[in-house]
Amino acid sequence: MYITNELFIQILAAFLFMMGMLIVVQRRNTIMVLMGIELMLNAANLSMVGFSHYLSQIDGQVQVFFTITIAAAESAVGLSILINLFRNFGSSKTGEASILRG
Amino acid sequence: MDNLNLAFLFLGGVAAFLSIAMLLAKNPIAAALSLLGIMLCTAGLYGMMQEHFIAAIQLVVYAGAVMVLFIFSIMLLNLKKEERDFKFTTPSFMATYTAGIVIFIGIIFQLLVHYDLFKSTMIPGPFNTAEVANLGGNTKVLAHALFSQYYLSFEVISLALLVAIIGAVVLAKRKFD
Repeated sequence: MYITNELFIQILAAFLFMMGMLIVVQRRNTIMVLMGIELMLNAANLSMVGFSHYLSQIDGQVQVFFTITIAAAESAVGLSILINLFRNFGSSKTGEASILRG
Repeated sequence: MDNLNLAFLFLGGVAAFLSIAMLLAKNPIAAALSLLGIMLCTAGLYGMMQEHFIAAIQLVVYAGAVMVLFIFSIMLLNLKKEERDFKFTTPSFMATYTAGIVIFIGIIFQLLVHYDLFKSTMIPGPFNTAEVANLGGNTKVLAHALFSQYYLSFEVISLALLVAIIGAVVLAKRKFD
């Protein structure tokens, strides 16, 4: 079986998704967790564009347009939450933020 | 159906390498720059697949706005280089790593099994590369779809963006105690 361009895109997307998941689960720094989430979103986008190209359809690309918008919104809100977390606990480690009371 | 292009292989390899570098980075700014490199490689892949509009959006929104936001907040919080916050020998890292590998292999297996089945059982859509070029390019085709078929979704997503902007401003300005 040949590895075609489209199949290579899917394999790369799976790999990037796996690395993003490892970063989210394994890193203890909140900003690294947010970056891992961005990487996972990016991998999902890559997969959707690859399938959209493969099946000669346009719907996947429209979906990617929406996903990028949501990712931008998510990172803006997430980073402002991160700044609040840093102000409250004086650290950006996930383990430090163990008190729910504000 | 063409064979693997060398440029695809190069961009993909760089992206994969940078994702590993991102997992192992001690310095948050190095990880952010690795993520920026991954975004640029992905934009290059989109451009190679003739999806020019998505490539431009990826460059402007992801590599421009989102990464600037990340680097800005790293500098704002003055995060310094620190010890690597995990060890390779701990059971938790081994378990996560194994789970990641298993999921990756599962995805690859499913892809290899079902990939050709997709194309043979499904009727491909009308928008192949030649037809898109004939209709006036990727941007024009996407714009037609976005403002006719997906008009309501477009409006809702702009509302969601507005809510996110207001939420971010309120959260960042809020003073505790």
